[in-house]
Amino acid sequence: MSNSLMNRLFLIVALAVAYVGVPLVFGGNAYVLGLIVAALTIAGVAVAWALLGNLGGMVSFGHAAFFGVGSYTSAVLAMKLGVPVTASMLLGGVGAAVSSIAMLPALRLRGPYFALAILAYAHIFQILATEMTPITGGAGGLLSIPRFPTVLGFDFGDKTGGYLIVLTIVVLAAFAYDAIRRSTWGLALKAMHDTEVATRVVGVPSTHLKAAMLVLSAFITGVVGAFNAHFISFLDPDYAFSSGWTVLPIAAAIFGGYRTVWGPVVGALAIYLVDQLLFKPILPHGHQMILGVLLCAMILFSPGGLMPALSRRPAKENRHAHA
Amino acid sequence: MKRTLAHLVTVSALALSVALGAGAAQAREFLLGSELPLTGSLARVGQGMHEGIAVAVEMANRSYAGKHSFKVQTIDDETSPAKAVAAVEKLVGDGVVAITGGYGSNIIGPASEAAQKAGLVYITSGGVSPELTQRGYPTFFRINNTDGYALAMIGLLQDLGAKKVSVVYLNKDATSSLAKQVNTALTAKGVTVGMHEFDGATSDFKPLMNKVKLQDRPDAIAMVGYENDYVGILRASKVLKPQVKAVVGVWSLATAQMAKEFPDLMENVYGTSMLPYPVEFTQPEAVEFAATYKKLFNKDPDYLGQFGYVQTRLLIDAVVRADEAGTLGKGGLPDELRKTDANTLIGRVTFDRNGDNLNFTHRMGQHQGGKVVLVWPPDAANGKMNFPAVPW
Repeated sequence: MSNSLMNRLFLIVALAVAYVGVPLVFGGNAYVLGLIVAALTIAGVAVAWALLGNLGGMVSFGHAAFFGVGSYTSAVLAMKLGVPVTASMLLGGVGAAVSSIAMLPALRLRGPYFALAILAYAHIFQILATEMTPITGGAGGLLSIPRFPTVLGFDFGDKTGGYLIVLTIVVLAAFAYDAIRRSTWGLALKAMHDTEVATRVVGVPSTHLKAAMLVLSAFITGVVGAFNAHFISFLDPDYAFSSGWTVLPIAAAIFGGYRTVWGPVVGALAIYLVDQLLFKPILPHGHQMILGVLLCAMILFSPGGLMPALSRRPAKENRHAHA
Repeated sequence: MKRTLAHLVTVSALALSVALGAGAAQAREFLLGSELPLTGSLARVGQGMHEGIAVAVEMANRSYAGKHSFKVQTIDDETSPAKAVAAVEKLVGDGVVAITGGYGSNIIGPASEAAQKAGLVYITSGGVSPELTQRGYPTFFRINNTDGYALAMIGLLQDLGAKKVSVVYLNKDATSSLAKQVNTALTAKGVTVGMHEFDGATSDFKPLMNKVKLQDRPDAIAMVGYENDYVGILRASKVLKPQVKAVVGVWSLATAQMAKEFPDLMENVYGTSMLPYPVEFTQPEAVEFAATYKKLFNKDPDYLGQFGYVQTRLLIDAVVRADEAGTLGKGGLPDELRKTDANTLIGRVTFDRNGDNLNFTHRMGQHQGGKVVLVWPPDAANGKMNFPAVPW
């Protein structure tokens, strides 16, 4: 059996377990299912972050901005204008994508300069959310944000419903990421990593492609943020734009393997669930420390992350495994 | 005869063991849940409430000894709303009878919503935002509210005779709400009020305090924020030395810890406090509370511990009443808690339809020579007020 076929088979089994097995096993355990939902929320942002880094070649420290804008857009549309929650969640993604347009001038920057610029943008959006009190509720935030509706007798507002929604968001984001990676756009983006000037010479619109990756990454992050707002049913600027929505997904993506499609998802599930279910009961007040040590060990011993380590690819291949 | 006596002894022993066994069967152990920030930005206040909860459980185990026993299972919410919700769900899954704890209105909101969904009582003293009780959740209870803090601050400022007051406040929900309440009440009484909002990220308060000094020229400065904000405002004021007669704050200010850590900044500053420091108790329950606190934590209690104690003790008493009435397992605890009418260490507590304690009113303490002296209201005062007096 070829590797590709094996991978597909493994993916089908994994998805079947995720869509059927997990709700069956943990459906009655709101705590564990809640933790899985929180981990998948981080996974969604991690996939979006890795997409921008891997395909767009940009390291972002400001994904909390997209997460916050998406969550506020969706919450405000649902609460103030009565837009149905599912539609407002998608519009939350659109809001985040639109907000990313304001960041397009930063595409001229590279490396740490781009990272710092996008971090500053994130702070601007947080201030806007704090100051626009009549719309956003100001620093006090929004409480009792509408939850997901009941459709055909199935309550998407409960834990299992929320799990299925965020799982679908993450799966669709990963499929989109994979499709782009395999497309001619992906080829062009991959070529841009090696030499942007050369790709421009042969007619690749590198700035447009990078902008498209930024907008797509913002859209995915915005949808995830919107989902979280309706799932937690609460928002305030500190929470919605918390640096945790940037730092944790980065840690998850690096831990899982940010050069792979599913690495960020596996990384998010691993670090969040291991931390909360295993380390926290053992060390209630210092469990984050163990996680830090584990992350350091992973970077030192398997720089490519967990997924390449699990698939046991040769190190040489990993180093050149762009996109 | 010998045989009859042996038979009698055996029967008596059996009867005694049956009686004891029956007694033991009636005794119940109740597991309470507690979700608190023990790490993260609210760790210090979370720890204070955690200590009060532990004292309440210890004292309840003594007073109900032989009849009932109580345990508390605590989960650190890491000052995160999502983790607070997860903590509540874990506690629900572990079969707790109710939840005591929570700090920060923005965290208590989603956490208490999770408790409401599970039909579990959630009692707190850590969130004073009016929105929390406006939701009308039948399982949500709190023993304090913004009104109680605002009344104390307004009452003191009025008694000081302040004609111009500058309110310097953090732009959070609870702090903004309290600041606006103070503004409305003082303005209605003919006091000129200058409102100055600041962001949580503010570390240098000199520009703001310079504005207060040069533009407002107030008689008193009213601070509404948290510990770090007070320290920043007082440091800036100490440099700029505005000509005011009093500096007044609210929660987390008139505490033993602030007196110990910032003696140069705190002198003569007012803050809300139920207790003087060192603690002076006369009421038997309060004396026992202070002694138990000292025994468990080797220090004097502060107001955070006092609130944690009161909310938990009221909950425990309601749990016992509901158990005796046979309604505990049938969702009768909220109704039993709503019947509460108790004189506690923070005054009388009753709960309205929304779970709010409308009797709540605070007292004001003043830092004086490393101590906190209760100075307002006059009938609760245990010392004389220094006025006019500022830390600089």
